[in-house]
Amino acid sequence: MAKMKKRSVILSILLLAVLVLVLFLIDGHASKYIIRITRLCAINIILALSMNLVQGFTGIFSLGHAGFMAIGAYSVALLTIPVAKKETIFMLEPLIAPLNTLTLPFGVALIIGGLLAAAVAFFIGLPCLRLRGDYLAIATLGFSEIIRILITNAQSLTNGAQGLKSIPKTADVWWCYGIALLTIVFIALLISSSHGRALKAIREDEIAAESMGISLLRHKMLSFMISAFLAAVGGGLYASYIGTIGPDVFQISRTYDILMIVVMGGMGSITGSVMAAFIVTIGQEWLRVLDGPLPFLSFWPENGVAGMRMVVFSLLLLVVILFFRNGLFGHKELTWSSIGNRLSRLAGHKPAKEVNGHE
Amino acid sequence: MSNRVLEVKHATMRFGGLVAVNDLNMHIDKQEIVALIGPNGAGKTTAFNMITGVYKPTSGQVLLDDRIITGMRPDRIAHAGIARTFQNIRLFKALTVLDNVMIAQHLRLGMTWVSSVLRTPKYRKTEAEMYNRAKELLEYMGLWEVRGEIASSLPYGMQRKLEIARALATKPSLLLLDEPAAGMNPAESAELTALIRGIRDQFHLTVLLIEHHMDVVMDISDRIYVLNYGGLIAEGMPAEIQSNDEVIRAYLGGDDDEA
Repeated sequence: MAKMKKRSVILSILLLAVLVLVLFLIDGHASKYIIRITRLCAINIILALSMNLVQGFTGIFSLGHAGFMAIGAYSVALLTIPVAKKETIFMLEPLIAPLNTLTLPFGVALIIGGLLAAAVAFFIGLPCLRLRGDYLAIATLGFSEIIRILITNAQSLTNGAQGLKSIPKTADVWWCYGIALLTIVFIALLISSSHGRALKAIREDEIAAESMGISLLRHKMLSFMISAFLAAVGGGLYASYIGTIGPDVFQISRTYDILMIVVMGGMGSITGSVMAAFIVTIGQEWLRVLDGPLPFLSFWPENGVAGMRMVVFSLLLLVVILFFRNGLFGHKELTWSSIGNRLSRLAGHKPAKEVNGHE
Repeated sequence: MSNRVLEVKHATMRFGGLVAVNDLNMHIDKQEIVALIGPNGAGKTTAFNMITGVYKPTSGQVLLDDRIITGMRPDRIAHAGIARTFQNIRLFKALTVLDNVMIAQHLRLGMTWVSSVLRTPKYRKTEAEMYNRAKELLEYMGLWEVRGEIASSLPYGMQRKLEIARALATKPSLLLLDEPAAGMNPAESAELTALIRGIRDQFHLTVLLIEHHMDVVMDISDRIYVLNYGGLIAEGMPAEIQSNDEVIRAYLGGDDDEA
């Protein structure tokens, strides 16, 4: 057992080294377009994991992600846009003090955005987390819209519908992947801890969990607030990634984009979310061809059909749901030992029986 | 220090116009095994739910170790020392046998999630203790070999045992078992009877159980309470209950009660 663990650690370090090397190559040599998609993959990993924590591991059907993302994105924008630029952006109404003379380092702004979102999540959670299933989904969806509409109307804070531009593009490949890695490690540690087990117990059976002494509200709140924090960090990175944000960026469809990744990867699977983040992000870009003209189809409109890629993408998602009902991984994780077993099975050996011990 | 573990005083549970439990009075002393019996729909499980905080009694009181626990949330009551199993087994189905028992010890963790995530030395020590206790309990129940299995994949009898192991992991002073022998054959019931006695002696527990298998009830109980239509109709030693006319009438139907 200890030997296997040692091997897993070595393999993980190797994988990490390969990833860093690949990122280094991409960062130095690939086209701007490829670099952009690479960064977006990392941001989507963070967003997907944050949603998976509530939906997949705790079983809370929350759809408020776009709202928390918006809080993070606006925090980062307002705290990092240079003072001189702020004056030109806020034309209708000047930005309120002290934000108009304040700029903070990107990392600090990310954390502030996260904490702010967690605080908002606390107040949203107090009424919402007492609800279950569909009701909770609708309530959180509503709050997400409220956040967006507040942003649209708080002219002197958010510049309203005009949005914010000139956000410094600090979120390079290293920022994105650094935070994505931290998120993965954090979620993995949380989920495998006693608190993580309690969250899973709530997902499995609320009544039993409560009878075993687990406070439902407190643990759901924990999950909800951490998720909001991470969503805001993802949103902050996203703001820095696109450079220009407005209220329309954070419509409900953003939540569904993330939900799609989580469902595809498997509710309650960290590795699933990571894989699916890559598949969905790259897939959506790759299928962009379909939006343009398709000259080899004689009946196709000359200028192409805008949005065709989403039609195809939705069909692909349907196929995934039909044939892999629990997503690609379900509750399971892709681990070195599971890959090893798969390989030895392919080679015709009997897999070593896995005993789920603790050491 | 009184010997009384649980005391239910004039507890009534009303759902709209329906009186599910009416003026229930009962008490259980230290290390007793007490059975709560009665025909279907008599209000036994409702009584359980009042004791464990799932329902708040419409009126009356529940005391654990002379402390009022009426209306407390189920998780607080679990902290106070009552653990239960469910009539229709409620395990954490998709989780492993070991995880099921580990989860039940979370309430005694006494640390924030930050120490949990950071794996502080104190957390690791507690986690190791939890693991050892889970091992002890699962070995006692004969489930250690299947610790890595998913709970829902276990055969029915083992799931029942796992539910008991999980309840014991919360370190209760009072254990409530809701029809532990349901669906068991006579041989299995006999084994269960021995198991419950063993648990009581090993863990110095007090046990209250709902059961329909009369052989189990008569064999295991120190005392029996009989409910019918939400009201208590008899209490006493197994022998007394067996010969009680009203109990026989409630179960078999008598001349004046042919519902």
